[in-house]
Amino acid sequence: MQGKGLLKGMHITFKRFFGKNVTIQYPEEKIVMSSRFRGGDLELDNNKCIACGLCSMACPNAVIELTTATDEQKKRRLASYIYHSGRCLYCNLCVEACPTKAIRWDKNYENSTYFREQLDVDCLAIAQKAEDAKRRSSDG
Amino acid sequence: MQEMFGLFSIAKLLREIIGQYVSNPQWVDLFMALINIGGIFTLISLAAVVLVYAERKVSAYMQMRIGPNRVGPWGMLQSVADMIKLLSKEDIMPTGADKWLWVLAPVLLFVPSAAVYAVFPFDQQAIFADLNIGIFYFIAVASQATLPFLMAGWASNNKYSLLGGMRTVAQTISYEVPMAFSILGVVMLAGSMRMSDIIAAQQDVWFICLQPVAFVVYVIAATAESNRAPFDLVESESELVAGPFTEYSGMRWALFFLAEYANLVAASVIATTLFLGGWSGPWFPGWIWFLLKISMMIFIFMWFRWTFPRLRVDQLMSFGWKVLLPVALVNVLITGIGIYTHKLFS
Repeated sequence: MQGKGLLKGMHITFKRFFGKNVTIQYPEEKIVMSSRFRGGDLELDNNKCIACGLCSMACPNAVIELTTATDEQKKRRLASYIYHSGRCLYCNLCVEACPTKAIRWDKNYENSTYFREQLDVDCLAIAQKAEDAKRRSSDG
Repeated sequence: MQEMFGLFSIAKLLREIIGQYVSNPQWVDLFMALINIGGIFTLISLAAVVLVYAERKVSAYMQMRIGPNRVGPWGMLQSVADMIKLLSKEDIMPTGADKWLWVLAPVLLFVPSAAVYAVFPFDQQAIFADLNIGIFYFIAVASQATLPFLMAGWASNNKYSLLGGMRTVAQTISYEVPMAFSILGVVMLAGSMRMSDIIAAQQDVWFICLQPVAFVVYVIAATAESNRAPFDLVESESELVAGPFTEYSGMRWALFFLAEYANLVAASVIATTLFLGGWSGPWFPGWIWFLLKISMMIFIFMWFRWTFPRLRVDQLMSFGWKVLLPVALVNVLITGIGIYTHKLFS
């Protein structure tokens, strides 16, 4: 019948009128990014890391700059781990290269900074800080 | 209660209050007339402010958005902010514009939009001028809104504006015909063109039940008359920028907008009066029923706008002349036969 489509369209808009909105009011509300989202800074797990340097070698842009040191038990540990996010192209090769799954994306999408230097993230310091906070909260 | 809170009793009360301070009855009449006119103009300008907000909210909800929500609670002051912006905007006139026509067009457009409010029955006995040709007056005056569009389009010295103006003329004249015929069905049933008689004839049953086809034809034609989507070819953004409004800015542009929403309200008021029983309804005072019914009609017009895509010009013309007009004519014929047989058997 002619004009059936009109009624169908009106039915759809009427349903939408009372339906749920999909808007997310950004500064107040934020979305949780999907599990395969590549973005934000690298999140380092210092306990898992064996300081092999494979991530740094996998990187096509030399974004990850790490130095290592040997501790008392003759074990190689990270001495520094700088992630130059300004050069990163979010190809995910470093995360794939890691044998112990010690790095992953923190999925933060608010990446803009006021100064170029702030793009260089000291992932080790962040990881240690997080560990300290965790230890402190579990102690008391 | 219906009588007590009706607009007529309020007006009577107001007249008594003024009568205590002003002794000359002619002055009281003058004051009352000014108050009535002021009321109508307040209604028109308030309607524009409220309807802009309502339109944005309705469109937002139909598109699963939230709509204005930053200015005031729930964004309710959004259109006030818009008004302030429009008031303070620079008035720009394009070079080579036909100065007088350009200046006059928005003002002249507003005149018929406001003039039709004279015959609208807002409540029992609350009608500014209960003409015996009320509905005819509406059709005659409302169709005058075509000329200012063409004036604006011509005076802007811009081919898109002119195209928009020409489209208004073609569209309004084409849809005036089926609209008049759809209204004719109601007039035949009521036996009068007086607004109050038409409402009185609907005491038992609303004309939407007796004239459903006429109602559909009227709503379609009224949408086209008020240049709203899906018939918004006049200001079709993707083709003509904004049609005749393109070169206008600030307050002049706001006048166009005001007239557009005044027309929307007018179309809803006529639909309410002719098909939905006007102000009549149980329990509440008439003006509340009137407001409820016109809000519903306005929602339906907005619903159309945010559901349907725009028609092409040739589709618009062929739909008007080849579908709407024959349907309206057949409706008139069937109504006539119906009235004749009804008279035979009663």
